[in-house]
Amino acid sequence: MKLLKPSWVSHHGKPIFSVDIHPDGTKFATGGQGEDSGKVMIWNMAPVLREEDEKNEDVHKMLCQMDNHLACVNCVRWSNNGLYLASGGDDKLVMVWKRAAFIGPSTVFGSSSKLANVEQWRCVTILRNHTGDVMDVAWSPHDVWLASCSVDNTIVIWNARKFPEMVTCLRGHTGLVKGLTWDPVGKYVASQADDHSLKVWRTVDWQMEANITKPFNECGGTTHVLRLSWSPDGQYLVSAHAMNNSGPTAQIVERDGWKTNMDFVGHRKAVTVVKFNPKIFKKKQKNGSSNKPSCPYCCCAVGSKDRSLSVWLTSLKRPLVVIHDLFDKSIMDISWTLTGLGMLVCSMDGTVAYLDFSLDELGDPLSEEEKNSIHQNIYGKSMAITNTEAQLSTTIIENPEMLKYQQQRQTSTQTNSAPGTVGPESSAPKLNSVMNGESLEDIRKNLLKKQVETRTADGRRRITPLCIAQLDTGDFSPALFNSVPILPSGSSMSNQLTPHLSSDSSPGQPSSLGFRPSHDPMLTSPPANSLKALEDNNEGVKSTLLLTSASKIEPIKALDSRFTERSKATPGLTAAITSTKECKLKEDTSSDSEDKMASINKNLMYSKRKPELMIDGGEVVEKRKKGRPRKEKMTTSMVQSFTQVHTVSVPPSAVAALRLPTPSTQKAFSLQVSMEPSVFLEVENEVTVVAGSKLSQLRCSKDGRDWNTLLPSSTLESVDLIAVASEDRMLSVFSSCGRRLLPAIQLATPVSALHCTAHFVMVVTAGATLSVWSVLIQRKRYTLSVFINTSVSQSLLTQQGVPVVGLSNGKSFCFSSSLETWSLIADKADSLVQCADFRGCLSSHDAPVSSGPLAVMQGRYLNAGRLASRLSSTPHHMQQSMTLAFLENQLASALTLQSGQEYRYWLLIYSRFLVNEGSEHRLRELCKELLGPVHTSATTSWEPTTVGFRKRELLREVLPVIGENLRFQRLFTEYQDQLELLRNK
Amino acid sequence: MAKVQVLNVAVLDNPSPFGNPFQFEITFECMEDLPEDLEWKIIYVGSAESEEYDQVLDSVLVGPVPAGRHMFVFQADAPNTGLIPESDAVGVTVVLITCTYHGQEFIRIGYYVNNEYTGPELRENPPLKPDYSKLQRNILAPNPRVTRFHINWEGVADTMEDSENVDPSPNTRGMLPPPCVPGKMPPLGLLPENSMDCL
Repeated sequence: MKLLKPSWVSHHGKPIFSVDIHPDGTKFATGGQGEDSGKVMIWNMAPVLREEDEKNEDVHKMLCQMDNHLACVNCVRWSNNGLYLASGGDDKLVMVWKRAAFIGPSTVFGSSSKLANVEQWRCVTILRNHTGDVMDVAWSPHDVWLASCSVDNTIVIWNARKFPEMVTCLRGHTGLVKGLTWDPVGKYVASQADDHSLKVWRTVDWQMEANITKPFNECGGTTHVLRLSWSPDGQYLVSAHAMNNSGPTAQIVERDGWKTNMDFVGHRKAVTVVKFNPKIFKKKQKNGSSNKPSCPYCCCAVGSKDRSLSVWLTSLKRPLVVIHDLFDKSIMDISWTLTGLGMLVCSMDGTVAYLDFSLDELGDPLSEEEKNSIHQNIYGKSMAITNTEAQLSTTIIENPEMLKYQQQRQTSTQTNSAPGTVGPESSAPKLNSVMNGESLEDIRKNLLKKQVETRTADGRRRITPLCIAQLDTGDFSPALFNSVPILPSGSSMSNQLTPHLSSDSSPGQPSSLGFRPSHDPMLTSPPANSLKALEDNNEGVKSTLLLTSASKIEPIKALDSRFTERSKATPGLTAAITSTKECKLKEDTSSDSEDKMASINKNLMYSKRKPELMIDGGEVVEKRKKGRPRKEKMTTSMVQSFTQVHTVSVPPSAVAALRLPTPSTQKAFSLQVSMEPSVFLEVENEVTVVAGSKLSQLRCSKDGRDWNTLLPSSTLESVDLIAVASEDRMLSVFSSCGRRLLPAIQLATPVSALHCTAHFVMVVTAGATLSVWSVLIQRKRYTLSVFINTSVSQSLLTQQGVPVVGLSNGKSFCFSSSLETWSLIADKADSLVQCADFRGCLSSHDAPVSSGPLAVMQGRYLNAGRLASRLSSTPHHMQQSMTLAFLENQLASALTLQSGQEYRYWLLIYSRFLVNEGSEHRLRELCKELLGPVHTSATTSWEPTTVGFRKRELLREVLPVIGENLRFQRLFTEYQDQLELLRNK
Repeated sequence: MAKVQVLNVAVLDNPSPFGNPFQFEITFECMEDLPEDLEWKIIYVGSAESEEYDQVLDSVLVGPVPAGRHMFVFQADAPNTGLIPESDAVGVTVVLITCTYHGQEFIRIGYYVNNEYTGPELRENPPLKPDYSKLQRNILAPNPRVTRFHINWEGVADTMEDSENVDPSPNTRGMLPPPCVPGKMPPLGLLPENSMDCL
C-alpha cells in the first residue's frame, strides 16, 4: 500500500467535508468551506497518481472551482455516468453541475485567486426544498434518482432525469439526517440520522422498509456526518456511528431480515464515514495453491473522528490495515476509484490523502460481468447493459457501420459530454463564435461607437449588448433519457367505437317469415336464430368459435370455409364497384316489434351503454317454436348450402343461448357519416303507408347531391359504402351514389352491429354470428359463430377486412383467416400487460401508433405497465420475462390483425428490448427470420413480405437498434454483411 | 445560481482627467434567455463618511439578453463636483458598478479610485478649494471587489423566504473601509488581498 498526501489539494486551509472521484478516474471533486462561501473544487487526478505529472507545470492540478454555494459544502457526488456533479451545502441547496461548453480557461472575475479554471463546470439546476443544511447527496444506480438528506429531518428524492422535479420527500426521521446510501440494485435507499436510527426505504413505494435503532441507542454526542454505505453485492449495509458495549462501532446490517449481528470494532471515537469498495474481490490465485475457488468478498474503508482509517475485507476478521494520525482532525469522507485500488480520504483539517493498494493486498477484482452474475443470482436484476458500458468502451469496434451507430448514439445521448481526458486542449467545444472573423480586439476598439443604444419609452438609455458567443442551452436534453411516454389511444377510440344500444325488447312478436321470399335464394347467413345456431358440425370442420366459458354446449355451429365458396352462387352484382372507401354505418334494427319505437338520441354515436346479455331458457323455447316454421320455409332455399349442417335439438334447459342486444329503431334520424367530403345520411322510418305496408326512406346527401331510396321497413347507416340493416333483417349495401351494390341479404337474426371499412361489410347479429362480406369481389369472407357466455361489447372491422370483437369480459379476439381461428389479441385482465415494462425501449422518433386496430382494442389499459417497474415488487427477471411475453403477444396480435404499422412499431420495441436485455438468442432468431434464406431454393417456405412490409427492409430498421449495443457487434456485422450481399445481387 | 455571471470588467480611459466620463467595458455571460432587461448602474461614492454623498452617475438597461456571452461599454459622465464634499475631493474613494434584475441586485463590483493632482506642486500644496480641472482620476482596475447576491431569477412574485437572499442593503457600504479609520483610506497596499471577498 502506498500513501500520499497531495498538499496542493486544499481549500486554503479550510475544512474539506467531502471528496469524490469521477467514475472515469481522471478527476475528483472536493467540497467544503470557501473563504466566504461554500466551495466546490475539481482536481486533476493525474498529479495524484504520478509524480512526474505532479512536477510537470503543464499539467493542471486544479481544474475548476465553484464558489456558488453560499455556505459550506457538505457533500459532492458524481453521477454514475460521470456527466453531472451534485453538491449539497449549508445553504440548503443542492446544485447539479455539468461540464460547460465554453472555450478556454477563465478566472472567476473578482476572485482573489489568480488560478484559471481549466474546465468550466456550470450549475445546471438548483434543487430547493430543504429547509436546513444539506448533509449528504447520493445518486441512485443508473442515475434515475438523486437523494439528498438534510438537518430538516427529511430526505428528498429528486427525479434525476427531469430536474428539478421532486419525486418524494421521505419523512420519518426525528433528528438530523446525515448520511445516505443506495442499494446497488436500486431497491432501497438507507439513511442514518442523529435520532439514533438507521432507516431503510423502499424505492417501490417510498415507504419505510426497516427502522433499525438498537445499535444506536447508546450513541451520544454528535458527529458531523454519518455516511453509511451499502456493499457492492448488496448483502450488507454498514452504518456509521453505532455503539456496542460502550465502544464505537460501524454496525453491519444484513439485507436478509435487517439483522444486526456483526460490527466493525476498534475505532476509539465515533465512525463518521464508511465506504465500500465498488469492486467485489476474490482471492488471488497463487501458483501452487489449491485451485479451489474462493468465496468472493468485499472491501470496506472506515473513517472515524479519532482521525484514523481502517480498511477491512469481509473475508478477514481483522482489518487489512489501520492508519492512525493520518490527519489532524476527523475524517469526513472517503472515495474509492472505480478500479477499486485507489482511495481518497479527506478531513476536517483541510487535507486529503490518497491510498494506493495492489492486487496482492486486496485480491482479484471480479469483472463487471462476474459482478452482474452475482447480482443476477441474488436479485435477478439484469444490469447487463448499463453496468458494462464502461468496460465495453474499451472494446474495439470492428465494423464501420457499427461505429456510425455508436457515434450517433453517443451524440444523441451525450449531447454535451466532456471527454474524459484532462488538459488545456480538451476544453469543451461548443462556443459558436458570432464574430464574423473579426478579432475580439477589433471589436473592443469600436465597441462604444458600434453598440446599439436606444431610449426606452420613459426616456432611459437601453444598450443592446454585443453577443460575442452563443451558448447552447440544451443542457438537459431529454434525449439523454429516453423517457417517451406512451400515449393511450383513448381519443381515437371514440371514433371507432360503435355505439351499442341495448334494447330491452322482448323478442316476442312473430316474424313475418315470408315477407320477401324473393330474397331467400340470396340468403347467405346461416339461420342462427337461437337454438338453430346450435348446429353441429362434427364433420371435422374446423371450428371457429369463441367459447369463453366452460359451458356445456357442445354442438357448435361453426364456419366452414366452404360456405364462402358456396356464396359465390349468389346472384351477383351487375356492376363493379369502383369507389368503395371508408364506410361506417351501423344501426338499429330492433326486434320485429314495430310498435316499439324507442326514442334514441340523435347523438347515439356517443352513447355507450353496456349491452345486456339475455339468457333466458323460457325465451329460448319460445324462439324455437317460432324458429321452426321459418326453418321449414327456408330449408328449400338452403338445402344446397347447408347440407352438412345438422340441426340438433337441444333441451332448452341445457342451453344458455346468447342473444346480443339489438339497437332499437328510431322514427327518424340523420347521421353525418364523414366530414370531408361531408356526407349526411338521413333515415326516416314509416314514411308512407301504402296498404298497410310501411316504407322507410333513406336519404344521403353528399356535396349537395341527394338521393333517395325507399325501402320497405326500416333503417340503417354508413358512408362511401353504405350498408343499411333494416329491422326485417335485411342488409342492403349501396355505393356512395346510392347504387345498390349487393342484392338485399337476408339475415337470420336482427343486426346488432354493423361496420363498413374499405370494401368490407361486417355484421354482428343478435344471434351471435359474425359475417364479413367483401363487396369488391362479391365474396363472403367469413361467417362466424360467436357463441359464448359473454356479450360483445365492441366490434370493428379493420382496413384489411379482419373482424375484431371485444367481449364484455375484457377479452378481444380477431379472426385469423390463415389460421381459420379466433385469436386472442387483448385481455384486460392480462397480468402481463400490468407488469410489462418496456418504457426504456421506446424510441423517441417512433410516434406511438394509436390508431391501429390493436391500439384501439388495447388502448385503455396498454399503458398500465408503464410504471410497472416502480410499482410492482416482482423480481426483475420475472418482469423481464413478462415484458418479453407481452411484446411477443403484441407482435403476434399485430400480425394476425394484419396491421402493418403496428407490427413494425412493436417489432422495433421488441428488438430494442432484446438488445437492452441482452437476449442474443432471440435476437439472432428474429434476424434470421427477417433475413430469410440467402440462397433461393425451391423448398423454402419463407415469405419475403409480412403484413405489407418487406422483411428485409424491416431487418434494415432493426439493425441500427442492434448496433447501439457493442456487445452485439458480431451479430450486427453478420446480418449487415448478408443484407449488403443480397442487395448487390 | 445566478443566471448572469460577470466575466470581466475592463476599465477604459484610465487614468484620465477627473472630468472625463467613466467607461467600463463589461463582459458577462447569461445561462438562458432573459425575458427582462438587466439594469446597470454606476455609483460614485462622494465620501467615505456617508451614503448621503453617493451619486448615481448613470443607469442603463441592457437587453435583450439571450443565452450566451455578451459585452457592452457602459459610459457615464463624471460626478457632479458640487455634490462632493470638498474634503473628500482628493484622495481615495470608490466607484461601484451594480447590476439588478427584476429590481434585485445580484452583483456589486467596486473599484478604488484615487484622485490626485497631476503636478507635484499641487500635490504638495493642494488648494483649499479643490481644482477639479487639474485632478486626475486613477481607477485601481486590477483590484475589483466583487460581491454577489443570490436573488430570485424567476420572477419577483415569490420572494425567497429561506434567507438564501442576502439582503444587499447592509452591504452597501461594504466597499468602503471601516468607518473607524479616521479620515482617509489606509494605503492601498496594506489592504489584505482578500478582504473584500468576505463581505
